[in-house]
Amino acid sequence: MLRDLAKGVSGEKAFLLGNEAIARGAMEGGVQIAAAYPGTPSTEILETLAQASKHLGIYVEWSTNEKVALEVALGASICGLRAMASMKHVGLNVAHDSLMTAGYMGVRGGLVIVSADDVQAWSSQNEQDNRFTAEQAYIPVLEPSNVQEAKDWTADAFELSEEFNQVFMLRTVTRINHARGDVTLGKLPKERREGIFRKDPSWLTHVPTTARKNRSLMIQRFKKIGQAVNRLPHNRLELVDEAKLGVIACGLAYAYTLEAIKWMELEGKVSILKVGTTHPIPADLVKRLLSSVEEVLIVEELEPFVELHVKAIAGKENITIKVHGKDLIPLIGELSTRIVTEALAKLTKSKPPIDFGRLDQLREETAPLIPWRPPALCPGCPHRASFYIIKIAAKSVVKNHDLEPIYPGDIGCYSLAVASPLETVDTLISMGASIGIANGLAHVVKAPVIASIGDSTFFHSGIPPLINAVYNKAKITVIVLDNLTTAMTGFQPHPGSGFTATNVKTTQLKAEDVAKGCGVQFVEIVDPFDLKKAIDIVQRALMFEGPSVVVFRRECTLISLREKKKRGEKVVPYVVDAEKCTQCGMCIKTFACPAIVKKDKNYAIDDFLCTGCGFCAEICPYEAINLRK
Amino acid sequence: MVREFNTIIAGVGGQGTILLAEILGEAATIEGLEVKGSETLGMAVRGGPVFSIIRVGGEAHGPLVPEGKGDVLVGLEPTEALRNITYLSKNGIAIINTRPIVPYTVPLGLATYPHIKNILETLKRESRKVIALDATKLAKEVAVPVAANMVMLGALAGTGKLPIRNETLKRVMRAHFSREIARINIKAFDLGFEVGRDLTERNQRPEHPLPRVSARGKNQNLVLCTRVGSPHSFNTQQLS
Repeated sequence: MLRDLAKGVSGEKAFLLGNEAIARGAMEGGVQIAAAYPGTPSTEILETLAQASKHLGIYVEWSTNEKVALEVALGASICGLRAMASMKHVGLNVAHDSLMTAGYMGVRGGLVIVSADDVQAWSSQNEQDNRFTAEQAYIPVLEPSNVQEAKDWTADAFELSEEFNQVFMLRTVTRINHARGDVTLGKLPKERREGIFRKDPSWLTHVPTTARKNRSLMIQRFKKIGQAVNRLPHNRLELVDEAKLGVIACGLAYAYTLEAIKWMELEGKVSILKVGTTHPIPADLVKRLLSSVEEVLIVEELEPFVELHVKAIAGKENITIKVHGKDLIPLIGELSTRIVTEALAKLTKSKPPIDFGRLDQLREETAPLIPWRPPALCPGCPHRASFYIIKIAAKSVVKNHDLEPIYPGDIGCYSLAVASPLETVDTLISMGASIGIANGLAHVVKAPVIASIGDSTFFHSGIPPLINAVYNKAKITVIVLDNLTTAMTGFQPHPGSGFTATNVKTTQLKAEDVAKGCGVQFVEIVDPFDLKKAIDIVQRALMFEGPSVVVFRRECTLISLREKKKRGEKVVPYVVDAEKCTQCGMCIKTFACPAIVKKDKNYAIDDFLCTGCGFCAEICPYEAINLRK
Repeated sequence: MVREFNTIIAGVGGQGTILLAEILGEAATIEGLEVKGSETLGMAVRGGPVFSIIRVGGEAHGPLVPEGKGDVLVGLEPTEALRNITYLSKNGIAIINTRPIVPYTVPLGLATYPHIKNILETLKRESRKVIALDATKLAKEVAVPVAANMVMLGALAGTGKLPIRNETLKRVMRAHFSREIARINIKAFDLGFEVGRDLTERNQRPEHPLPRVSARGKNQNLVLCTRVGSPHSFNTQQLS
């Protein structure tokens, strides 16, 4: 339920998703330019801003990738406007090159980077902790503990960024981005700045002399920030007289810590330091806490980032204290009230409020009853047909050779083809890496190498490795799975869609034109539901001496269905003819569309799930699947 | 004032798990309650498990229900309820849609789907009360099968545990849906409410003989199953 949050009145309560709250915070913070590339769990931030853009008169764009998004925001900041770039944690890796120098430069208009770290890797290839990235770039970090703070602190980040002339990072985790809560809205500013570019090579042109000068200025700025954070309301020290135990709770972990302390009936018995600026940490407050207790527990998700800094302070100040952190709090995955409760129970040598062991036992007991339910490509998804075709074509080409085709994969819905029965994703590393890895493979193995990459991912980071294949003569086949949208994250447009984040019509780039422009000599376009033609094209692509590109183009089924519904058209499902069906099971064993179901021994098609694509009818060896009459 | 009321809603991508949570949370906000929650998205939306959390009250700070502290577990799909059973308190209630969604791994022979009876028995053992209904079927009777989530929301309200008024929930539906969609969803909600209320009342007065309750006064097969394993349990064809 996306809504126009620019219409919210100050003082009004709204029930918001964390990402909506961040977007509203940016509006309240006077953002005038926002850029992003979609990525879970960050996507809804820019979507919400795009909804509000017209009303607010701000510029919002989906950039081709996160590096460009950051540069768009940086460009605006240089001209004095408040700007934001939001991305998922691994997106910041893409932006890293410019990020490092942005830290040296500082800002004119407040510049905020939102790094949405996917702790637990719910929808990501890793669970990296971007506080280390921020540290490397001398970028201060605000880490909210709930949805209200996510809004308030985003607005604060713009103020702080300008006050200290430095890029600020709002670091969130999935359970902030995709948390929900009641939020009291603040005021929207009226001020709109004009962008003015002032030539200043000694600031903006990072030749070595500028780099050395800016580095020194950056370090000075950061020292100031290090002092200021002790007074910022984002950090709060609650000292309890005679408390033996102190807890330092960082970002979201503060919420779990509050609940755990209550559950353990330790209220008024432990001192608590809430750390909202996890970089730099409020050293004075930490010192005061360390000097007042015998033991301290640091609660933070993922890496022992704050823990290392606290230990450094204890060492520097010569405070003898036992510092606990990752000895009791896991390095891996999301935290919970239970985890903090158990750590507190251990430290206070008391019993947890409930028998958690029994819950673990219950989980073990019920596990065999719960079926494995991996996410799957949707019924009628063109990607399923594409992979089915690719596999048949590849197998036919290696027939009579002792070779197994290799399928480097990429990031998107189509990553799901890793699962049985398609099994056509052999590697999955990062955006665009399918083609990069294919380049490497092509020079060291004899087997055909078939990289698959989605349209949005191709524009994001697939082009340089494709050029590399042409330049360095890597014999690879690249399949661009073009469904005309960024489907995985919820149908955001991209350079191949023909319209922008704010629904403005624009040039529609075609992957085939890009491939030809890159110098690829074999470029073909095919509809994945055109089985015979598609197999033939992929076979020819695989035989081609040199890099080849096949664009499988068909609109995402979810979008087609939505459009059909709008037009009032009915979906006519397919049915299995029980008389013709020999129960060979090829439809499920090789294709496994979720709409094909098995009841006892009989195969059937779930008419609620069936999208009427008809691909299963094409592949049934007994012609036992027909359009319903 | 509510201090802490924890709801876990579990289902499969596409069932409207998150929508249910959104309506619940928004209604609680309108009621002036403090609300916290979260959801699992991403890869999970493509037919994988989805779960949403809504917590109400000033003592709920985090986005997750602490394990063992759930007041209500709403299972839009039976095995998905089971997947989240450790969140439920021994004093909690489980409201289960008995209609299975069998994952594609089962026909592929990579997994098996348990008997519904086993699921309900386990839930019964680990909670105070289990309210089981074929919400998908009920939804189909009044509207469309996808309105099962609203039948379940109604059943949740019908337990009388929810610190939110029905009218507020309906107000949210009217605000977010087109008139026709709102009408269908409210119809599904009302039916779910009746069923939830009847099953709850029946649980509270087990000394009374159990009549076959007819939800709208005409269909004899609407209400399905309650208190599995109790002396008054009865199962219908769907469950056997």
